[in-house]
Amino acid sequence: MKKELKRLNMISIWVITGILVGLTGLLIVFFISFNRTLSRKGSEATYDKYYVMISDDSSSSFWQSVYSSALKEAKLQNAYIEMISENFSRDYTQTELMEIAISSNVDGIIVTDGEAEGMTELINKAYSAEIPVITLINDNMQSDRLSFVGIGNYKLGTEYGKLIIEMANTKTFPGDTIEVTVLLDAGSEDSRQNVLAAAIQDTIKSDRNENADAHLPIEITLAAVNASNTFSVEESVRKLFISDKESTPDIIVCLNENDTNSVYQMVVDYNEVGLVNILGYYDSEAILKGIERDVIYATLFVDTDQMGRYCIDALNEYYEFGYTSQYFTADSYVIKKSNIDEYRKGEPDER
Amino acid sequence: MRDKFRNLPLRIKLTGISLTVNMLVFLINIVLLLAMNNMSDKIDTVYRANLQLNEISAALNDVQESMTEYLDTKTSDSLENYYLSSQTFTELIDNLGSTITESRQGRMERSIKSMAEAYLEEVGQTIDAKRGRNVEKYRTRYEEATKLYGYLNTYIYSLNNEQFKENTENYREMLSAFRRFEVVGNIIMIIVIFTTTLLILRLTTSLIRPLRSLTAMANQVAKGNFEIPTLPVKSTDEIGIVTKAFNKMVVSIQDYIEKMRLSAENEREMKERELKMETHLKDAQLKYLQAQINPHFLFNTLNAGAQLAMMEGADKTYEYVQVMSEFFRYNVKKGFTTVTVGEELELVDNYIYILNVRFSGEIHYEKEVDTSLTNIEMPSMILQPIVENCVNHGIREMMGEGKIKMSVYSLDDTLCIRIEDNGAGMDEETIDRLKNGRPANDRKMDSNGIGMDNVYARLKLFTGTDDCFSIESDGPGKGSRFTIYLDIKEKSDV
Repeated sequence: MKKELKRLNMISIWVITGILVGLTGLLIVFFISFNRTLSRKGSEATYDKYYVMISDDSSSSFWQSVYSSALKEAKLQNAYIEMISENFSRDYTQTELMEIAISSNVDGIIVTDGEAEGMTELINKAYSAEIPVITLINDNMQSDRLSFVGIGNYKLGTEYGKLIIEMANTKTFPGDTIEVTVLLDAGSEDSRQNVLAAAIQDTIKSDRNENADAHLPIEITLAAVNASNTFSVEESVRKLFISDKESTPDIIVCLNENDTNSVYQMVVDYNEVGLVNILGYYDSEAILKGIERDVIYATLFVDTDQMGRYCIDALNEYYEFGYTSQYFTADSYVIKKSNIDEYRKGEPDER
Repeated sequence: MRDKFRNLPLRIKLTGISLTVNMLVFLINIVLLLAMNNMSDKIDTVYRANLQLNEISAALNDVQESMTEYLDTKTSDSLENYYLSSQTFTELIDNLGSTITESRQGRMERSIKSMAEAYLEEVGQTIDAKRGRNVEKYRTRYEEATKLYGYLNTYIYSLNNEQFKENTENYREMLSAFRRFEVVGNIIMIIVIFTTTLLILRLTTSLIRPLRSLTAMANQVAKGNFEIPTLPVKSTDEIGIVTKAFNKMVVSIQDYIEKMRLSAENEREMKERELKMETHLKDAQLKYLQAQINPHFLFNTLNAGAQLAMMEGADKTYEYVQVMSEFFRYNVKKGFTTVTVGEELELVDNYIYILNVRFSGEIHYEKEVDTSLTNIEMPSMILQPIVENCVNHGIREMMGEGKIKMSVYSLDDTLCIRIEDNGAGMDEETIDRLKNGRPANDRKMDSNGIGMDNVYARLKLFTGTDDCFSIESDGPGKGSRFTIYLDIKEKSDV
């Protein structure tokens, strides 16, 4: 009994000492792990090449989508691409950003506004500093840009035209003409828009030539949307609705994501759902919802992933072989209510 | 190792324990303190990157200003300033990272570095152009440089901002981690203090345990229980010494007690022997007294007289002599020192008969006996001497009819034998004399020789108390009363 007690006492002494030692150990381990969390910057992935992407509105989901696909592709090639405008606490124009990119001696520049004033010189300057420049969507043919990644604008316009004719055939419209308004960016002298608008007109004209009586005559007007500052898009679009009920167009064709969103919102706000049909651009979630709710008739979207990939591939090819293809054209698709489910199912992971 | 520890003095043991525990607490404390120190140092460095950027920004400003000043004034001072500031700026710029990292800040650092280099290049060319007085060139260069300066400033500012944001985040995180660590540290400290207290308690308990068993044993000894096992001595520290001493003490106390017990026993034995000697002496005395009244010869002759009377046909004489013979036989039988009450009464009957023959029926003898008590034993030759005393000193000296009454009765556990006479009675002095056995100077020759003092003495020896015999008298001429008190004891019990 006594011996038992003594043994117990001895055990308890050892246990207590063990606890103390354990606590000290725990403390040290805790401290080390704590230290590690404090200085976790440690090993970070580094890359060989540093590309820069310059776009007008870096927060739009269209550009974000292009960018994320480009980044994914770049990382595969041990390069990093960055939306340089996000590095700054103030807004710079694309030309300014171009200058910054050149002076920071990047390994490649992707610029979306190839037609901006002074861009040609800057692209040439970059070229002379051995920085390859890729123009995206808007080309600058005169410059020494490496290559152009774009959409087949004429093809896109044809698609819009086809959609307009389809609507004219299937829907009923008040009045004796179907008024179509194509929203264009007032600021940029963007040949792309002109090509698009021309393609739409061409398509409709040729259709009228073929079967003139199938639907009401279609009248196309081009409306300039001022996208020069942050809120002007909405203001410009609003003008279409408030000026005169009569002149509110039957079909509005939007050629970028921002316009589409604005018009969509306006149609809902001014209670014109059903009266005004929208042909949108791009496949953001909001726009897809608009299609599901029958506010937007259809949207065209360009394969942004493909675009991003093409940009990086062009740069890579250049570094690998010293040259690359001058043109890349991304595919475009139409999403309507009839195929939206299919589309959603097809690319659930893309967004 | 353990034995070594065991044999250390208690003082050193206790000091060792407290030292160990203190060291442990101290160690944990040191770890805690170091950790906290380290953390606060880290927290201090959080904003170092911002400081560095601010320095770069200031240096950049200096470069720009000195360049502008030089372009304005072309003094050698401003040129020197320019060189100095561009030197500082270059040094600062060198510290920036130039790798393309996953984190934006790293990339921004790289871009700033490249831009700063481009800017310095531009500035250098501007200065060169100025020195070469190429006005056209230095103006465009200057514009270019200023543009770059603007971008660079914004870039640095943006990076600074970015870093500040992140650092603030880090700072908050660190601070909360620090607080967490503080709390954990405090909890650990509390646990440590608690457990060390427990440890001290345990260790001292194990140290003190022999002392406690010693105390328990000492308490046993104090209560008078010496039948305890010797305590084991495990160490040679103070407690060990005390335990050893205690063991020795207990053993020697046990020895001493044994000795005491033996001597007490001896004494008791001696006393017993003494007592036995005394009783034997008393016995001898009794036998001697009885020997004094031995009537062997008389008995034999009387027997012969009785036979003679029978042959001559004198019946009365025969009966008389026969009773006489009985009377004396009783005396012969006195070898049995104790007899029954009945036998004594018979003897008294015989005596009275003899006297009545002798004095021609002068004495009236009356008996009142509880026959259940006749078997109780008593010393022989007690009642007859008393009756004889009554006759000789009570009745004979009076005129008229003498009466003697004998009563035997019990009073609780006491047997009472009372003998009363209506004779001369006694005064206090006579009673006292009778009881204390002072020899009566007027001893008559016709008594059989046994005095009251002898009776009393024998009664006292037999019963062992003084209160066995009482003599009362209501005064001279009013008779006397003798009462014997005996414990009721059946003969068979003897």
